[in-house]
Amino acid sequence: MSFVRIAKSGACAAVFVLCLSASIIAQANTGAGNSAPVVAAPRKAPVVKQLNIAGLRKSLTPAGKPLLVNFWATWCDPCREEFPDLVKLDAEYKGKIDFITISLDELSEIARDVPKFLAEMKAEMPAYLLKAEDDDAAIAIVSKDFTGALPFTILYDVSGKQAYVRPGKVKMETLRAELDKLLSPPTTPASK
Amino acid sequence: MYRKSAAFIAILTLFAFVLTPTMGNAADFAVGTTLENFSLPDTNGKMSSFNDLKGKNGAVIVFLSAQCPVVKQYNERISQIAADYQAKGIAFIGINSNHTESAEWVKTNAAENYKFPVLIDKGNVFADKLGATVTPEVYFLDAKNTLLYHGAIDNDKSGKAITDPYLRTAFDSALSGKAIEKTRANAFGCSIKRVEK
Repeated sequence: MSFVRIAKSGACAAVFVLCLSASIIAQANTGAGNSAPVVAAPRKAPVVKQLNIAGLRKSLTPAGKPLLVNFWATWCDPCREEFPDLVKLDAEYKGKIDFITISLDELSEIARDVPKFLAEMKAEMPAYLLKAEDDDAAIAIVSKDFTGALPFTILYDVSGKQAYVRPGKVKMETLRAELDKLLSPPTTPASK
Repeated sequence: MYRKSAAFIAILTLFAFVLTPTMGNAADFAVGTTLENFSLPDTNGKMSSFNDLKGKNGAVIVFLSAQCPVVKQYNERISQIAADYQAKGIAFIGINSNHTESAEWVKTNAAENYKFPVLIDKGNVFADKLGATVTPEVYFLDAKNTLLYHGAIDNDKSGKAITDPYLRTAFDSALSGKAIEKTRANAFGCSIKRVEK
């Protein structure tokens, strides 16, 4: 009796385990219902382009849209702190303005820490690293208000005129207000 | 007519004067300006006056930071320049104006890196007075406290490809009685961490 009962119980348990396994495998193959399996693709590190003084001058020229430029470095704490807000701002104003970031890291970091940080931040702004022949000359090109202290953010209007300058961390509300002001349609003078 | 114009110009001048920024603007303390004597506590809390610290051929005020990586890159060069020119009568005085760095941290860092006094500028009052914004940033003054050179130490923060050693050149010109050709140069560095006002 006991042998038969044990054999029967064993067979039942085996069938149960088999069914359960088949069900799990089927679930896995179909991707749990109708939705496809979600696999997080590794984020591709952005390409950081090197700039010299001539390149800097060119990159600071607006191309039909207001141009926002953020100078930063991976070694600069306040730069890293404000970066998530800048990434949000970029998403918010995408298509309406051009937004570029210029890193002042060492050239050796152009394919290492700089793109790594940008990837972590999920930053999509075109990214540059400035290796100027002369830092003093490079700083002078940017703005008379720039002393080289990082971070530094500058907004140029379409004509290339300086519309907003912020040495140190950006005050987001102020920057948004300046951007909105630049993007709002010009008021037409009342007809006589 | 002339009286009205004169009054208008006087009012404009007054407005320009009143509206001129007096804090945190690098143009405030320009080359050629004379610095009044000042006193700040050193890392042991002892008050030290500029006139007591300066050398017979002047002094350099260098804004420093214990945490700034750019300052760390410059520390060896700063020490070497200080050693070379202290012997020629130019004293070095470090200033730390970063509210994010504790007095203890500044003291340890100064002891590890510098053989010259480092003064603590609590509330960045002195940095505001000079318009200093970045570390490292130097102000070279002659024996009469007149500013001769302001800005970067040299033109390469990495130290690997210096082609313009601004501060050394300024020292050499001043010591040989020549005019300093480049009296102002900017360089990339860390912003001075000021208190929120």
